[in-house]
Amino acid sequence: MTALYVLDVPENTTVAKVAAEAGAAVGKVGPYFEITADESIVVDRRATGCRHAVWYSCVAGVAGGRIVQHDKDALRVDPA
Amino acid sequence: MTLEHKVRGVDHTAFPTFDPAGTVRFYRDVLGFPVVHSICAAGWGPENHPDFIHFFFDIGNDDRIAFFYYFGLEPVHDHERGDVYAGFGPDVPEFFVRSRHLAIHVDDQDDLLEYRRRLDDSSWPVEMQIQHETIESIYTHDPNGYMVEFTRAMRPVTPQEDLDANLTIDALLDVVAEPEPSFGKLLARKAELIVARAADWEAGASAATGDAVAQV
Repeated sequence: MTALYVLDVPENTTVAKVAAEAGAAVGKVGPYFEITADESIVVDRRATGCRHAVWYSCVAGVAGGRIVQHDKDALRVDPA
Repeated sequence: MTLEHKVRGVDHTAFPTFDPAGTVRFYRDVLGFPVVHSICAAGWGPENHPDFIHFFFDIGNDDRIAFFYYFGLEPVHDHERGDVYAGFGPDVPEFFVRSRHLAIHVDDQDDLLEYRRRLDDSSWPVEMQIQHETIESIYTHDPNGYMVEFTRAMRPVTPQEDLDANLTIDALLDVVAEPEPSFGKLLARKAELIVARAADWEAGASAATGDAVAQV
């Protein structure tokens, strides 16, 4: 399972929301969103409304996978 | 155990200048930072130390920025990039040259824009104004080439950001202790620390950011 951790602060909430809409499960570990999927996790940057400073610093941790894309279009975490 | 935190901010941070007139114009006359202290010192010591003036401006909160002007000292390098203290050749990347700066805090956007107005009416206009989504900053370079930022927070820092900062630093220390540290390795290690330490975290329990939580 692939897990992406995102800190729950106001400007990051759309990242978890968009990930959930794309099919990932979203739970909480303390003040972090824990976004999990059996396959890849994909977050569309434009759907989040994030601009570059928040977008490129929204990832707190990655377990069971690795980031294969993090650019102006999307964040994609593939299983290890 | 947590060490008691007894310090009280910046007493002063000090920089050399070869242009005291420009420096005083910039900090005192353009920005309105009061001159609060100065030392006129005859040179002494084993290195033929020149006579010098060490002068201070208040940057708010009783914190100070200070300069050294050395009589008779010529500029120590002739690189075009960098500042009067340090010059860089073409082999040094621009992001590195632009990394070191002083950021001065203001309370709100009105105050930020007031300093923008003062700078824009001077010989050192604002070079960049950026909203980083959580902070807003303006930047310029002073007459000595030192980068100066004015910044305001667009929202208060939340307690969970202190936890996150501590997990980041613990993860960073772990990955730089191993060969070939990378961002990917940091995020993997930080995920482990989040799972181990974040679940029990509660807002307001600041000890959770430090030693009171079991180390992984």
